[in-house]
Amino acid sequence: MAKQSEKKIVAFCCENSALKAAEALDGPAALEVLAAVELVRLPCTGKAETGLLLECLEKGHPGVLVLGCPADNCKFLVGSSRARKRVEVTRRLLKEAGLSEERVHMDFVSSVDAHRLGRIVREMQERLAALEPAPTPIGGKS
Amino acid sequence: MITAVQKPFAEIQAMVEGYSNLLVLGCGTCVTVCMAGGEKEAGILASTLRLAGRQKGLKMRIVEDTIERQCDREFFDTVRDKVEAADAVLSLACGVGVQFCSEVFAGKRVLPGLNTRFYGTTEQQGIWSERCAGCGTCVLDRFGGVCPVARCSKSLLNGPCGGSQNGMCEVDQENIQCGWQLIYDRMKSLGLLHLLEENQPIKDWRTGRDGGPGKIVREDMVLDT
Repeated sequence: MAKQSEKKIVAFCCENSALKAAEALDGPAALEVLAAVELVRLPCTGKAETGLLLECLEKGHPGVLVLGCPADNCKFLVGSSRARKRVEVTRRLLKEAGLSEERVHMDFVSSVDAHRLGRIVREMQERLAALEPAPTPIGGKS
Repeated sequence: MITAVQKPFAEIQAMVEGYSNLLVLGCGTCVTVCMAGGEKEAGILASTLRLAGRQKGLKMRIVEDTIERQCDREFFDTVRDKVEAADAVLSLACGVGVQFCSEVFAGKRVLPGLNTRFYGTTEQQGIWSERCAGCGTCVLDRFGGVCPVARCSKSLLNGPCGGSQNGMCEVDQENIQCGWQLIYDRMKSLGLLHLLEENQPIKDWRTGRDGGPGKIVREDMVLDT
């Protein structure tokens, strides 16, 4: 298993939008994104649960991205809006736990937004780089 | 069901401070339905506590588990080892479950992670509202199935007070419907308005909280010892 410092940002991607955008990347842009993030395919970001997002951070991933369809273009109508609410709850919990809420971020990407995806990942990397490194696991789940 | 909400995180953190080995114990019945203390919530709270502890550099071991009910003795058997291995249990059951967990594991510190609220119903996912106050002497037959004890802020049995305006209660005109408006509307739709002409006698509150802690004994069901 990779050491914490080597772990990538986890990107939960809707298979109808963000994942297609990621698959459309090629050349250096694709390499840059794939070097920085671990893509996780979801049928819809509405499936992203608070506990899952927290668990990624517990396991030492520096940050979590939730990348869903634009809110008015969700195949399941309300999946993206539900995900946005859960991301907000997760960010509040992180703040209460004394961590930066910037470790979890949601963005909306359509399948033709490959160029935006690279920018979103870079911006996330920049936000994380500005933070203190997350402490390593001590007890319980890791 | 019994409804509850999670205590503020800062309060929980202060409560568990000093324990190095904590079991977060969810309850799989009422508080699972009202999304306050089931398996998911136990997982989220345990994760948040671990992340917070790690951030502070605390050497805390926090594990989570959930049992079917914390108000029945037999369900604790599956977590007995985990409870005994922990310094303290943070119970995400209602007040009944927290107390009963404490009784089952005498000598073990059991802490409440939730604030228990009321007997209520799920209006829709994410919204629960009170329906019963557990007064012990049900009067729903006289009020068309709308409880004046639970749903009138003053528990009035003989009509509304002057604080009923446009169907809402003066206690919170935005969020609380006047229980008596609901009773009137229901009785009217049932063609039973004439029953509201009857004066209700003073209610005997001894079957509720005013009679002290309640106890039910069904002699025909009690097992011989």
